Amino acid sequence: MNRREFIQTTGLMSASVLFPKVLLSNSAESTNKDRFPKPLEPLIKGDVKEFHLAIDIYQQEVVPGFKFHTLAFNNQIPGPEIRVNKGDKVRVIFKNNTELNHTIHWHGMYVPWRMDGVPYVTQMPVMPGQEFVYEFVAEPYGTHFYHCHWGTLLHMQSGMYGSLIVEDSDDPIKRQFPYEREYTLVYSAHDSNFIRTELNSMLERMKERMYLMKNGRFNKERFAVFNTKDEFVESVNNGYQPPYTVNRRSPSELPQPNWFTVNGKSYPMTPNLFIKEGENIRLRLINAGGEEHSLHLHGHDFWQVCDDGVPVPQPWQMNTVRLSPGKTIDIIVEGNNRGLWTFHDHDTRKVTNNGLYPGGNLLALVYEDLPAEETKLDMMSQKLGLDALPIVALDE
Amino acid sequence: MFKIKTILIVLFVVSMTPIFPQVSPEIQLGVRGLTSINMDIVTDNTTSAVNDFSDTGILLGFRQKLYNQYRGQFVIGLQFPDADSDLGQVFFHQTFLKVENKSNILKMGRSRVRSSLIEFPTLRDDDALAFTDVLNPFSAGENTEDNQFGNVLELAHVHNQRYWFRIHGEHFTQTPIAPATSETDFSLNSVGFSFVYRVPETELWNRPVIQQVGIGYNNYLMDKSNVSNEYSETLGNVILSTIMNLRRDPVHFWDIRSQIISNLGFDNINEIATYGELTRARSIGNFTSLRYIYRKLERPTVQLSVSGGYKTYPDLTNTSSQMQVVGNIFYRLGENFDAGVQVQYQSNKGDLINIFGNEETRVQFSLIYSIDQLWNNQFDDRESLLNLEHGYIP
Repeated sequence: MNRREFIQTTGLMSASVLFPKVLLSNSAESTNKDRFPKPLEPLIKGDVKEFHLAIDIYQQEVVPGFKFHTLAFNNQIPGPEIRVNKGDKVRVIFKNNTELNHTIHWHGMYVPWRMDGVPYVTQMPVMPGQEFVYEFVAEPYGTHFYHCHWGTLLHMQSGMYGSLIVEDSDDPIKRQFPYEREYTLVYSAHDSNFIRTELNSMLERMKERMYLMKNGRFNKERFAVFNTKDEFVESVNNGYQPPYTVNRRSPSELPQPNWFTVNGKSYPMTPNLFIKEGENIRLRLINAGGEEHSLHLHGHDFWQVCDDGVPVPQPWQMNTVRLSPGKTIDIIVEGNNRGLWTFHDHDTRKVTNNGLYPGGNLLALVYEDLPAEETKLDMMSQKLGLDALPIVALDE
Repeated sequence: MFKIKTILIVLFVVSMTPIFPQVSPEIQLGVRGLTSINMDIVTDNTTSAVNDFSDTGILLGFRQKLYNQYRGQFVIGLQFPDADSDLGQVFFHQTFLKVENKSNILKMGRSRVRSSLIEFPTLRDDDALAFTDVLNPFSAGENTEDNQFGNVLELAHVHNQRYWFRIHGEHFTQTPIAPATSETDFSLNSVGFSFVYRVPETELWNRPVIQQVGIGYNNYLMDKSNVSNEYSETLGNVILSTIMNLRRDPVHFWDIRSQIISNLGFDNINEIATYGELTRARSIGNFTSLRYIYRKLERPTVQLSVSGGYKTYPDLTNTSSQMQVVGNIFYRLGENFDAGVQVQYQSNKGDLINIFGNEETRVQFSLIYSIDQLWNNQFDDRESLLNLEHGYIP
C-alpha cells in the first residue's frame, strides 16, 4: 500500500463513522460537548468566588495519531473556562507544578496592576512549586481570556490559555438577539517542533538553575535580570553572555506554525456548532495564538456584536471576520438557511494539519433539524459505500 | 535463474522509488574540525613536529517516522585517518541503518564497535587506544581505525530508560587485506554482549554519584575456518566500566571514569614480537580519567583532565607492561570553538618495547570546531526530558 492509498483508506474509515445522520444523533451532540472549554466551578468563600488553576506538562492529542507535549491548565487545552458575573470578587489560586516559570495575565480585564501577570513588571515569575494568588473584581463585561505571560512565545502556543467570560444579568447582546445556546471557540496556532525543542531546552536549563537555587547560589546574572541598564552593560563587559544570543536558548529560528487548533483540536476533531432553524446562537471567538485568522461562514451572514468584549454600537453584518492575535470577537449566527455548512479560516494555509489539507480550523455548522434524506447521495456514491454526504474527508 | 533474480530485484527497487510527495526527512549534521601541532619526543631524544588534522570528520544523518511507532535512520560519515594509516585520504567510518522503537534498537552497517564501553576526555579518540579499547586481533596494526570501527549488527534493548542490554556481532577488519569476498567483508568474526546502567545525559543535574556502570564481553571467533587455521579456540575479553560524579555542581563539575579491560588471551603466547601477538596475549589494563569542567553561565568554559593507564601482560616470559599519562586543557573561544593543549607520556617495558619503543612524550596544541545541527526537526530524541519524564511520544 503506498502513501496515497493509505491516506485514502484512513480517510474513508474516518468518514464512515461521521455521516450526517450519525452526526445528528444524540450521542454525537453529547460527544461534541467535550470539544468546548469545560467550566471551572468556583468555591464560594464569603463574597469571593475562588478558582483553582494548576499548570502541568501534558500530552495533547490534536488529532488521532498525533500527540505533542504541552503545558496545560488543569490538564485541559484550552484551560477551563472561568465564567463570572460582572462585579464579582474573584480569587484565582495558581499552582505551578512544572519545573518552569509562569504567570497568568488576565487579557482585557481591569485588574489591579500588581495582578496583571507580567513578569518583572508587575510581579516576579511564579517559580517551580510556587503558588500565586490573583485577586480582582470581574470587569468589564464580555469575552476575555487568560494566558501565561512568561516565555509567551512558547508558553501560549504550548497551551497556556483559557477563556474568561464576564456575564451581565442584563446582557445587551441577548436583549438585541435573543439566544439560548452559545459556544466558545479558542483559536491557536502551534509549531509543534518549536514547542518540543524549546520546552526541552527550558527544562534542561531549569534543572541546572534549581540545583543552584537549592544551594543558594542562583543570582540575578544567572537569571538574566539586572537592576539597571548600567549593571547589565557592566556584566557584558565582564564576559556575560547575553540571553538573546543562541548561547543560552534554542532554537534560534522563530516558530512557523504547522498545527492550527480550535479548542485544542484540529479538523476532523474540531467542534461542531449545532443550531436549529429560527434559532440564534452566539459564538465567542478568541484568538489565543500568534496567527491571524480570516473566519468565513458559508451560506449565512452573521452579526459581529462585540469587539474585545465590548458591545459594538451598531452590530455589523458580514460573512467573514478577521480575528487577529489577542482579539476576541462575538458573533451571532441566525439559523435561517437549513443545511450543513462549513465555518473555516479563509487563509486556507491554516486549514491544514502539518501541511496536509484539509485540517486545522475547519468547523461545521450543523442544523439539528436537517432531515437525513436531504443528505442522500446518488447511486454511484452509494456503490462506494457512502449512504449520505460525508462530513469528514481527508483526501481530495 | 540469475537473470530472473536480477530482474526481480530491479523491479522491486523501481517500485519502491518515491514517486509521491514525501514528508521531508529530519536531517542531522555533525561536523568536527580538529587540527593540532604535534611535537613528539621519542626515546633517542629525536623530535618531530607535524600539522595533524586526523579525526576531522563529518557525520550526516537522516531520520524519519515509520509506521507502528517505529523510527528509521540512515547515517553516513567520513573522517580523515592518520597519515600513515593505509586507509587513503578519507575513511568512511560510519555507514549504517537503524530501526528503533521505544525499547529496541536494531543497527546494521559500519559503525563504532563495542571495543569500549565509555569515552575518555582525550583530544583524539585513539590517543590512549591500547588502554581504552580492546585491540582488534584480526588487524596488523597499521591504523587505529581497525580497532574502533567495523561492520556491525547490533540489537539493543532499553529497559526503564536506563538499563541497556546489547547483543552484537561484528566483522572486524582483517589486515593485511585479503582479496575481498562477501565472506571476508561481512561475515561475523566476533560476537558479544554488554549490560550498561546509564543515567541519560539530559538528567545531568538529577543524577547522584553513579553516572554509568557497565560490563561487556567480546568473543573473537579466531577459530573460524576462513579466519585462521592456527587457533582452535576463540579469543575472549571482559570490559568493566564506571563513571562517577564526584561533584555534580553546574559551575564546578567533577567526574571520574574508569575502565578495566581483561584480555583472556591465548595460553601459548609467552612473548610479543608482532602486533598479532600483542592483541592475542593475556593482559589486563586500566584507564582512569579525572575531569573538571568550569561552566560559566550554563556553558562549559574550561575543561581540565588528567588520565592514566597501566597494562600488564602476566604470561610473558619477560616482565612487560605499559604506562600512559595524559593531561589536557580545553578553553572555549566561542560558540562551538575550542582551543586545547594536551601532553601525553607513554612508557613501555619488556616485550612492549619491540612494538612501541621505550617511551614517548607528545605535546599537542589544537583548535577544535564542532557543530551539531538539525533541520526538519520532526520528533523528539529518546533521551529528551519530555520523553523521559513526561511520557514517550514515538
